[in-house]
Amino acid sequence: MSVPEAKVSSVAERWDRERVLALAPDAPSQLTAQSLASGRAWTATGATAEADAVWGECRGSASAPYRAAVDLTGPAFRCSCPSRKFPCKHVLALLLLWSDGSVPDDAAGPPDWAGSWLMARAATAGRAPSGEQAEPKDPRAAARRAEQRETRVSSGLAELDRWLCDQARQGLAASQQAGYAHWDDIAARMVDAQASGVAERLRALASVPHSGPGWDGRLLEEYALLHLLAVAYRRQGELPPPLRETVRSRIGFSLRQADVLAGTLANGQPVRDHWQVLARRDLDQDRVRARRTWLRGRKTGRDALLLSFAAAGQALDDSLTVGTDADADLVFYPGAVALRAAVLTRHGDGDVPPDGGPPEGSTITALLAGYAAALAADPWLDTWPAVVEIIPARAPAPAVCDADGGVGGHTGDGGHTGDGGSLPLHPGAGDCWPLFALSGGRPVTLAGEWTPRGLWPLTAWDETGRAVPL
Amino acid sequence: MSAWQDLVTASLIGTERAEVPAATVPGLPDRTEAVSDDPAALLLDRAALLTVARRGGTLIRPAGSGFQAEPLPAAEPDQAPPVSPAAGRRLGRMLGGEHPDLLAEWLTAAVARDRRVPAHLLPALLDRARRVSPSDPELRRLSAEAGGSRARWLARLNPDWRFVTALAEAGEDAWRLGGKGQRRAYLAALRTRDPAAARELITQSWEAAGPERVMFLSALAGAELSLADEPLLEAALDERDAEVRGWAAHLLARLPGSALGQRMARRAAGCLLIERSMRGTPMIVIPPDGCDAAMRRDGVTSRHGGGPAEMDGRTHLLHEILARTPLRTWTDQFGRTAEQILAVSSGAWAPVLFTGWSRAAMAQRDQEWMTALIDWALAGGPTGTLFGAETLRQLARRADPARCARETTASRAAEIPPPVRDAISVLRFRYDMLKELEL
Repeated sequence: MSVPEAKVSSVAERWDRERVLALAPDAPSQLTAQSLASGRAWTATGATAEADAVWGECRGSASAPYRAAVDLTGPAFRCSCPSRKFPCKHVLALLLLWSDGSVPDDAAGPPDWAGSWLMARAATAGRAPSGEQAEPKDPRAAARRAEQRETRVSSGLAELDRWLCDQARQGLAASQQAGYAHWDDIAARMVDAQASGVAERLRALASVPHSGPGWDGRLLEEYALLHLLAVAYRRQGELPPPLRETVRSRIGFSLRQADVLAGTLANGQPVRDHWQVLARRDLDQDRVRARRTWLRGRKTGRDALLLSFAAAGQALDDSLTVGTDADADLVFYPGAVALRAAVLTRHGDGDVPPDGGPPEGSTITALLAGYAAALAADPWLDTWPAVVEIIPARAPAPAVCDADGGVGGHTGDGGHTGDGGSLPLHPGAGDCWPLFALSGGRPVTLAGEWTPRGLWPLTAWDETGRAVPL
Repeated sequence: MSAWQDLVTASLIGTERAEVPAATVPGLPDRTEAVSDDPAALLLDRAALLTVARRGGTLIRPAGSGFQAEPLPAAEPDQAPPVSPAAGRRLGRMLGGEHPDLLAEWLTAAVARDRRVPAHLLPALLDRARRVSPSDPELRRLSAEAGGSRARWLARLNPDWRFVTALAEAGEDAWRLGGKGQRRAYLAALRTRDPAAARELITQSWEAAGPERVMFLSALAGAELSLADEPLLEAALDERDAEVRGWAAHLLARLPGSALGQRMARRAAGCLLIERSMRGTPMIVIPPDGCDAAMRRDGVTSRHGGGPAEMDGRTHLLHEILARTPLRTWTDQFGRTAEQILAVSSGAWAPVLFTGWSRAAMAQRDQEWMTALIDWALAGGPTGTLFGAETLRQLARRADPARCARETTASRAAEIPPPVRDAISVLRFRYDMLKELEL
């Protein structure tokens, strides 16, 4: 026969067809998976008995084939397709093929794209206690919930887009007379639709009409970006996976930190570095306090953002102190601009110098160039880490000037050279007197958040090189 | 720029009545084909495109453009070094509300060691100094001094902090033309620099000063006094203004070797006796009979003049006399140290003796007595009354914490009463604070 006995026994406990189909989140998935489980769509399939893993590439509508992999020990699934069904039809089809005995053993082991994921999973499985499995207990129920949520979000965002278009049709001029309820109502409907990220953005809009000159432009910007988000969600199938993750996380689909750390998502390998804790900003939201901690790798130069949350009255994560270094493995969340990260492991504190000196500040021009490049990948990005060498200025409004530009340098070709120019400080940051006092009119290294409204200063380094939170 | 403005204008009017203007981004292919037939969606599409293009295209505001912000002139470098990082962190906490009443002590210690306030804390410090009453410029003067050249630089940027430069520049003009606060600051500064000149200035100005005489005397309160000040103060005891008389008596009671102190010692001598008896050595207390005119001249107030409500008239008089009597009177009379005197059992009189002697020790800045009194209180002594608790609170802020270090480190936190626990924590705070300022 074509299937030798030895091959069958080499993969322990090969699942039968019923068991594979039982993983499907719904009946349509079962059907499409069975039609997809024909040898023609699949290339480069393989399985290893040692790792208990199956992988394969499947040609779909996109130009690149979808890559599906299954860790049979979990089981855990991974696929590069945009579907939010879990597991997706590709994974189910691959498992059906394997169940049929149509997936050959591959003595060479998995290809890199599958191997790295499988190894990271194996490493995590060795560490995590069995009680903390990343996979939900009942994958079918979880998948059903996930699909219900997709449906809610989808109709919620359709409603939001209609609402936004209504605003544009009737004109924004009336917004100045509208009360908070105008935005709270639509925000509440987005909460019902489980699009919490959108709801938060909407609630923040109520104050825009009273934020001074230029409010109309700022309101239009926010409406336009929300519209863009609704459109992007509607057409998420056409987006590259990282951008899709960005869209979904901005809508409010949050990834579980455990999943991010387990490396089950398409988010690459942990990055080890001496992470310099640059700055910290605490925000009081509705009932939750949020802390943003900005890091920069001394070796990689990579920026990272750690988020932590606490209920009102509870302490925020205090393990990283501004002005110190941390030797740690960070895992970055998937996204078009990989900025958000979580700490996987911290290595022996004793070996790290507590303070490796101030970071190297860039020019303002370099900051803006970096932001522009990031914006090209994630158009909703409105908070960007800034580390600049500046001299603060007060007139006509609090601002920062390039430290080495001096005064009156002529700008040559169309004002793009930048040296000697300035950027405004964020109006919400207030007088920023401590920054001025620290500088005394001399250049300082300043870390903060660059936003479309200006730079929010957070940390400056004094003449002895010590970090001073502002 | 104008394409965006056109979009904003159209969005304000609404696409029901306004055309959707075109939006092109230089360098991008012109995508004019509408993705949607709805003009409102088209407007939002174009606005999104321009929003991101404008954000990504934010240019540094070039030098010479209308927006140009001028960098500030650099502050002169300060020769004095900043305080230690630990001292700076503590100052930050104090400005945030931890023991704010000890700020003046922190600043005084920093000035004495010629160290500077960390620059980034100056705005909070100057704001606090500004909020204190202008008639009591002590915190302002200390802040200006401990802030050094950076504080003066800041004061030129923010009119709220102008007092820093005003104090630094307080010349004779401030005395001749300035307001009460400036005149007081000038006098206090002159007193520190040249005591004789300050005395001369007060004597010359006394007749014409009228109600400002109170200010003259209060300006001396922060200074070291000497017997050369006595004639002026003794004469002021005969002024008609009760407030002037009160200040003069207060200052004379502080002055070592003053005639007022000797008069008080004579009044007090008969009030306290130590007697050997079968049951140990109790303190015999005989309060004075009444208050005569000479006593009133020396600042002793009778029952109505305030004081603890829990004392009767004669007890109150005793307390007033003890508070103004030189403490050497007792060590000489009894031939014992302060500690030994306080060890003598005084029964129900203990609270009166404690507050009276404490006031004397604080006025005369007698560290030996302050230490002994704190020991007494910390050993479960006579602080059971409200007045005793308040006195202990003040003692803990004035006694040298290094001398009390033994008590501040060895204490059983559980069973001690709150006033004592507070005193211990204040002493400990001041001990650490002053040590950090030595670093």
